[in-house]
Amino acid sequence: MRRGPAERHETSTERPEDFDAFWSAIMAEAATIPLNPSLEPVPLRSTPEVDVYEIGYDSLDRVRIAGWYCRPRASYLPPPYPGLLIVPGYISEPTLPKSWAKMGYAAVGVAPRGKLRSNQRYNPGYPGLLIDNIVDRHTYAYRGFYVDACRAVDFLLSRPEVDPVRIGVHGSSQGGALTVTTAALRSDAIRCGAAGAPYLCGFMDAAELTHSYPYEEINEYLRLHPEREPTVRLTVAYFDGVNFAPMIRCPMLVYVGLADDVCPPETGYDLVKAMRCSVDLHAYPRCAHDAGVYWEMPKIEAFLAEHLRPAAYTLHAEPTVG
Amino acid sequence: MAEDAPATRPPDFEAYWTRVDDELARYPAAPAQDYNPLRSTAFAASFDLRLTSIGPYRIFGFLSVPEGSGPFPALLVTPRYGSVNNPPHDDDRRRYVVLTLMHRGQRLADRPFAAAFPGLLTEGIEDPNAYVYRGIIADCVRGAEFLHSLPEVDRDRIGITGDDLAIMTAARRPIFAALHVQTASLLFYRLMEARARTSSYPIEEINDLLRAHPEREPAVARTVSYLDPLHHAPRVRASVLLPAGDPGALDGPEWLHPLADALGGQTETYGVTHEGGTDHDWIDAWMARHLGVDLRPRVWRID
Repeated sequence: MRRGPAERHETSTERPEDFDAFWSAIMAEAATIPLNPSLEPVPLRSTPEVDVYEIGYDSLDRVRIAGWYCRPRASYLPPPYPGLLIVPGYISEPTLPKSWAKMGYAAVGVAPRGKLRSNQRYNPGYPGLLIDNIVDRHTYAYRGFYVDACRAVDFLLSRPEVDPVRIGVHGSSQGGALTVTTAALRSDAIRCGAAGAPYLCGFMDAAELTHSYPYEEINEYLRLHPEREPTVRLTVAYFDGVNFAPMIRCPMLVYVGLADDVCPPETGYDLVKAMRCSVDLHAYPRCAHDAGVYWEMPKIEAFLAEHLRPAAYTLHAEPTVG
Repeated sequence: MAEDAPATRPPDFEAYWTRVDDELARYPAAPAQDYNPLRSTAFAASFDLRLTSIGPYRIFGFLSVPEGSGPFPALLVTPRYGSVNNPPHDDDRRRYVVLTLMHRGQRLADRPFAAAFPGLLTEGIEDPNAYVYRGIIADCVRGAEFLHSLPEVDRDRIGITGDDLAIMTAARRPIFAALHVQTASLLFYRLMEARARTSSYPIEEINDLLRAHPEREPAVARTVSYLDPLHHAPRVRASVLLPAGDPGALDGPEWLHPLADALGGQTETYGVTHEGGTDHDWIDAWMARHLGVDLRPRVWRID
């Protein structure tokens, strides 16, 4: 296969004129919904260093969102702690961010709607999420999904042991996408973000560049309904990371694999070109959807530690998977 | 150099698995193979497949069959540890009949049992006869039997890829020409030793359980010994690819050495580069060579 250099790619994503208004209205609607946070200790998964909790909170459409909350025991590291939101990949369940908590973070692993434990009222299935109501931006799957991740920031802000001026976000693949959207929509609270192999950037370009799932869901849908292409293109423009990028104000780290068949690297470059914040881009030749995490993980830890200053930053986290 | 060795094979190992085979034989697969227009293409037809496994329990599979006159080489993709498995990739659908299975508890096979993640690995783990993986292995074996029975499949060219589930399936049904083991995802290989060397999920599920209930360790160790790929390996007849990670890692060459020694088939190791594209293309080429199809590398050339 032959492709041009990823850095020379030009996105076909256009920013709708009412993009900001669209999201302002959604975030305003979300703000009217009480968070109603819950916190249940999970002794089975706690360790001498880390307390584990199962958490819940209300989000858009009153969907109850689940997550894991891991924080250092006060006897191991005293509060306050920087907060860290770990956002999941498309087919992954959120892992328990115990290794991040051991480093000194109060860390949430969130399960946005449709994921296990958050799927009682909304369950489009996998595959399926990417194209659920993709012809209508007002009911498209990611409208609530993005807000669910943002509300995890509110959960962290509700915790007295969390330092509200030290909150970051990190994930890869769909987690990379949610890192971008959360940093954009909660630019008031997020101090830094590390996004690997960012998905949901340049949706339509990506679907043209790959036959790997999840983007292949769009190809399948348009093979069956080719006449809906303009409507699909319009919908996803409202959810495109490239269009969220200019809203980010905090420092960002983006890393991509130059042979990523899942989230084409061209779209990672398009994302970075659209950012107005301070951003470091690390691109790994011959790496695929791993995005070079074997080499990148220490850099992610150092980047987050530089901005969030956890107490035990010399320890290491589990490698991030999308 | 090989590390210390490993868990003892239970004396009733063969009898345990023979009972699983016998139980599976009592239930007809009762396949329902429904055409899926959304996932079908000009080059391959796609089907939603449902089969009965032990329990009885209805499992699911994504089945893809190339257009044209077969028979075709085939590939069985055993389920990963998690709730979701992707449908077969375009590159594989062009070359093989592909069956990607969803075992009991995973999405599309989650009625009446919806597995928890984390949680599945320890579900019923104190009793070998109640352990959820007894049924999950049967699910994979059922899928292998079904794939082997398809008239579109060239029975001399069937490959299998996956973690421990692939090893155990290849051991229980020696119908495979090639087995690619996803060594970085092994669950049951030397598990009671491995758990002392990691705090990563899913193996951390065992640590969680035994931290809370240390007295249960003998029962847990007994149960997982029935699933250790080491004890299944001598029955494998396929050619085997074992990717090996860094020395000292849980997929490192010395850690895998006992498994490589025990495998009945011709075994080749590959030192992973950690470049996902490079590693994918090497493994794809290995399987393609063994099944007699074209390579489909994904690392592209930059003009």
